[in-house]
Amino acid sequence: MRTSRALRPLAESLATVALGLVAGAVLIWAFGHPPGAAYRALVLGAFGTWEDLLETLAFATPLMLTALTFAVGVRGGLFNIGAEGQMYLGAVGATFVAGMVPMPAWVHLAAATLAGMAAGAVWALIPAALKAWRGAHEVISTIMCNWIALHLSMYLAINLLAEPGRAERTVPALPTARYPVLSEDSTLTAVVFVAVGFALLVYAYLWGTRAGYELRLAGENPDAARYAGVRPQRVVVLTFVIGGLAAGLAGASQVIGRPPAWSLYATLGNVTTLGFDGIGVALVGRNHPIGGILGAVLFGALAQGGRLMEYEVGVLSELVRALNGIIVFAMAVPELWSLIRRRFLRP
Amino acid sequence: MRSRMGLAVALVVAVALAGLAAPTTAAPRAFKIAVVSDVGGRGDLSFNDMAFKGGEDAERDFGVRMVELVSKVEADYVPNLTRAARDPDVQLIVGVGFLLSDALAQVARRFPNKNFVGIDTFAQSLVKEKFASQYPLPNLMDIVYEEHKGSALVGALGALLAAHYAKPHIGGVFGIEIPVLWKFEVGYKWGARWATEWLAKNRPDKAFTYRKDFVLWTYTGTFSDIPKGYAAAKAMYAKNAVAVYNIAGPLGLGINQAVQEIARSQKLRMGPPFWIGVDANQDWINPGFVIASMMKRVDRGVYYATRWVRDGQFRDLVRRTQGVVTLGVGTRIAGQVAEGISVSTLDDLDEFIRMGVQAERLTGKKVLPATPTEIKSKVKTMREAQPKWVWDAVAELERKIREGQVTVPLAVTRPDIQRWRGELGYGPVPLPAAAYRAPAR
Repeated sequence: MRTSRALRPLAESLATVALGLVAGAVLIWAFGHPPGAAYRALVLGAFGTWEDLLETLAFATPLMLTALTFAVGVRGGLFNIGAEGQMYLGAVGATFVAGMVPMPAWVHLAAATLAGMAAGAVWALIPAALKAWRGAHEVISTIMCNWIALHLSMYLAINLLAEPGRAERTVPALPTARYPVLSEDSTLTAVVFVAVGFALLVYAYLWGTRAGYELRLAGENPDAARYAGVRPQRVVVLTFVIGGLAAGLAGASQVIGRPPAWSLYATLGNVTTLGFDGIGVALVGRNHPIGGILGAVLFGALAQGGRLMEYEVGVLSELVRALNGIIVFAMAVPELWSLIRRRFLRP
Repeated sequence: MRSRMGLAVALVVAVALAGLAAPTTAAPRAFKIAVVSDVGGRGDLSFNDMAFKGGEDAERDFGVRMVELVSKVEADYVPNLTRAARDPDVQLIVGVGFLLSDALAQVARRFPNKNFVGIDTFAQSLVKEKFASQYPLPNLMDIVYEEHKGSALVGALGALLAAHYAKPHIGGVFGIEIPVLWKFEVGYKWGARWATEWLAKNRPDKAFTYRKDFVLWTYTGTFSDIPKGYAAAKAMYAKNAVAVYNIAGPLGLGINQAVQEIARSQKLRMGPPFWIGVDANQDWINPGFVIASMMKRVDRGVYYATRWVRDGQFRDLVRRTQGVVTLGVGTRIAGQVAEGISVSTLDDLDEFIRMGVQAERLTGKKVLPATPTEIKSKVKTMREAQPKWVWDAVAELERKIREGQVTVPLAVTRPDIQRWRGELGYGPVPLPAAAYRAPAR
């Protein structure tokens, strides 16, 4: 009984992947490419060789974290779309400590990681406070915070963290603050373990502790939670802080955990959209930390495998992106449906 | 009998040899080149489109095949270069734009049998910095350009126009102050001063003395904030500058906006005021108001690199140049003319209009401001409206640079730039405060 309940979302997700792939095949065929060969290239490009697999995971790493931000929000009853901005600040925080504050090895790495996470969490406190004490809707406040974070981060990157002579990016992380590269054949670093570890930690927290239970209860049924003595402000702040930590880590991972630049671009080009992409990943992963990891691997596979599909079969990069969208859309349907049902169709 | 035996042996040997030789002669390996764009991608009408055009020219002339890899995010650079390098048929991988420098340095080390080229990159200097023992990598070439010479040519053009229209200034809108831009700045000012000397000799009726405030210049501190380009240019045109040189990429659109405003209020169909394009031929953006462009021929870089690989000269060239090849005015590489800097001409315009048409097809957005024939005729009319001696003088400077009769100063270090600013003009024009206010959309 228990296992079948746990497997049902997985089965639903797999069914919708299949649906999305069929719709994508029609699109590929409509543009005059053979769908079979295209999908073969997609799979081979993502998982065909050791280096491809590692690169897929490199693309998946930040997404499993930004997906976590959104997923924890939903579990706590919040529609937190602020991962993007929190991630920017996380990248800035990590860049500052990693690039400008020399420390001994390992300590430096840990400090830079924590600085990124802390910066993300602090930024998340703004919408959290607005929600908890002023009742401001988090969709509005997180969108606004995203914009403020964008310009603030660009300002800091250009004026505080700039490297003289390299206008396009900030100072690079010092070698003591870089995650070890797992294989010269890809851009994957050990930061992937930190990301997975953090996702598992959040899973254990939400499903294994009293505070986690309260958070989920407040999300499922706010009235019952209040009746049971759960303080809603506390839940809101906790939800945002966990999300901010995850998003901050995602931003940090692209600076201190991704060669070859080891720095933040002045345009924020190496982190932009990772936060928004996380929303789709979370929907695919059914707002579950572990589902988010799987969803992120799928997104990473589309990013990395799409490369070979374009290279070998000639499927245009725009079409590759459309395909990503179709699959994501199809996969988001069950979750979207249950979200709508929970929110609006509840008797 | 004996001879017949000998004949048979000879036949067998011949067949065996033919058999051995057959795989190489009958089925030559396909020669592919791969062009990896930066995040600007297809349709940028500048670096990336020019690189792809260079690849197309190479396809036409050398019978190679080009594969295009468009980078969507910065994280694509390494995987895209890697993907191309793993194709056994690809012999040359081109990374377009300085953003790919780090990625090229990394990937080129891992594929020693493949040839890598970066356009406008500094990958070898990164190799020197990070992996000193491997420097210079034998399979990696940075292709860079003599922007100082091209800037001198358009600086001269601006000063000559100032003389013709009796205007007191020319201007330059720069991006972030990085050493690369000093090359443009000093070249531009030097060219303007050269023109005043030319005028004194050849057109005394139009001559004026070079003043240190003749060239107005502003470092906006950005390569993306278009309103700052607008604000900086507007201040220059308010001081009656005849032309403003765009040395800040997309900020040219801001300069164009400032020109357009004047054109509209005074109902002008043609400059002055003008502006001067950069990198690509930008004359089509606002036909009649872009007097010319300082072109960095990215396409030539891709084209030459393909030829060097095809002719087996590539690695030798890398060895002799420490991996940095400079294309410019009158440059010769491996005994052949290989130029990469020029002032735009009417003929170049066709190529770029074609590029615009292609970009419209690819992106589905309106790119060209008018039909190709209208653009061409407007640019032609504008060029013909300028006195012939202006164009002749620019051509003369180009010839003198090419023949080595004059040397355009190259400023790359801080002492260089300070010395030349002392000689050619020191005080920059501060960016007007309005530039810091939110742009009206």
